[in-house]
Amino acid sequence: MNPVTFIYDWIDRRIGLNDLTAKYLTGYLLPRNINIWYSMGSILLLIFGVQVLTGILLLVYYSPSIETAFKSITFIMNQVPFGWLIRTCHAVGANMMVLFLLIHMISVIFMGSYKAPREFNWLSGFGLLNMVFGICLTGYLLPWSQLSFWATTVATSGAGSVPFIGEYILEFVRGGKLVGAPTLGRFFVLHVIVLPAGIAGLIGIHLFLLQRTGVSTPPSYDGPVEHWKGEQYEYEKHPDGIPFFPHFLVQDLVANCIYAIFFFAIVFFVPNIFFPAEAFFPANPFETPAHIKPEWYFLPNYQVLKIFPNEFIGLIVQGIAMTFLAALPFIDIWPKRNFLKRPLFLTCVMLGIFTFIGLMIWGHFS
Amino acid sequence: MGVCSGGLLTLIGAGTVYPIFRFLSPLSVDSHGAKVAISLENLPEGEAKFFEFQGRAAVLIKRKNGNLSLLSAVCTHLGCIVKWEKEKEEFLCPCHGGRFSPDGTVLGGPPPKPLEQLPFVVKDGSVNVG
Ligand code: HEM
Ligand code: FES
Repeated sequence: MNPVTFIYDWIDRRIGLNDLTAKYLTGYLLPRNINIWYSMGSILLLIFGVQVLTGILLLVYYSPSIETAFKSITFIMNQVPFGWLIRTCHAVGANMMVLFLLIHMISVIFMGSYKAPREFNWLSGFGLLNMVFGICLTGYLLPWSQLSFWATTVATSGAGSVPFIGEYILEFVRGGKLVGAPTLGRFFVLHVIVLPAGIAGLIGIHLFLLQRTGVSTPPSYDGPVEHWKGEQYEYEKHPDGIPFFPHFLVQDLVANCIYAIFFFAIVFFVPNIFFPAEAFFPANPFETPAHIKPEWYFLPNYQVLKIFPNEFIGLIVQGIAMTFLAALPFIDIWPKRNFLKRPLFLTCVMLGIFTFIGLMIWGHFS
Repeated sequence: MGVCSGGLLTLIGAGTVYPIFRFLSPLSVDSHGAKVAISLENLPEGEAKFFEFQGRAAVLIKRKNGNLSLLSAVCTHLGCIVKWEKEKEEFLCPCHGGRFSPDGTVLGGPPPKPLEQLPFVVKDGSVNVG
């Protein structure tokens, strides 16, 4: 017998590999017309994996103190072989994570797959969105550049506008009255261990829930489906579907390759697209740069805070919007899913997206 | 098909592993600290001065009779850093008790070889190494 088959057999007899492949790969049937939007999740897994890998590598040289942080980053960029590559991948990857998270979420909204019985999939996804925003915010401070310092000062200052306890919250978040060494310490711990572990755990839950409910059928599907009826737990089966392996695995890989082309095009041809000039100067607490703006994905929040005369009202408006988003599956309880047949829904979604993008552009030019 | 995808996978694998390997490889040391100059002014007789030379520990001693010697401070047994015993004018390795004379020869203990002598020149009251 050939040695590979022998080893495979040896393991299989003990833990049942064939059983696993049958259940999750060759015998795992998915709807025939699953589209490219269903691959966004696998792209997000790839991005998360790359972030973890490049993050661990950066930690080899990065030194989290206000005296050494900026120097260690400069050292990585200029001295360490391929340091520029690892760091650029990590910085660009963070932006891609947010971008594809938004795309994934919007496609879930359009296909109505947040609806019952997938409320938990949606909620775990919403949790991931918030944690990813958190990991981006904390990671931004770590290079201890002018950009890091002032963007974090602006981003955290909003908390101070909460009545009565705002001052205390602000000091607690920063570890002092101003952004400084204690802020770097706590953001570092959040960024390299607490949030990654939390995100990894929540991804596990997200995928577990997906396994339990079964992948949603695209709204336009006309074949036989065993839909959830609401009386008891039921796995959404697709009796005439196509196995995940090899067909959809290849489809996911193709999507990942297209993503990789897009990603490396940025890394190699416009590596500084996410680095404004302030990113290249070490933090100076006594000199605020002229035009300090948060990253593109925080621009809507930034602009909302500016529109309202009182920052606290701006915070409340954002809180309401986020709560509405989290509660979406409990508000939109109608079973119909095809967005082309739901004019009111379509109008609301488009308005929401345009408002978000509009605020982003406004925030950029204001 | 099999050859193509195998080749492609190898290419992607190599493209990932090579940068990571280089990233983690130790940076070459000879670019910095290739030359060291030690001023003799603040080295009293009978004292030793330990310093780093090309990434390794070295020691300069000025004996009571004024003679200079420059040695690697790395014990030839298992690589501990030797100590200078001022009164006895000899080196003692704290790990397993190896003893060396000021010119590096083994006086006792497990070390198999003498301490390595390093070439130097004296110029303008300082010792130049490398
Ligand atoms: C780290 C971030 C995330 C990762 C790695 C991730 C991963 C995945 C994967 C692999 C799938 C299955 C394939 C697919 O339909 O795309 C999936 C499905 C799903 N995700 Fe996410 N996701 C993330 C964030 C989110 C967010 C922010 C939301 C929305 C708030 C969300 C909501 C959903 C829902 C409702 C499904 C089920 C879709 C269906 O069954 O068709 N996910 N996710
Ligand atoms: S290492 Fe010096 S005596 Fe063993």
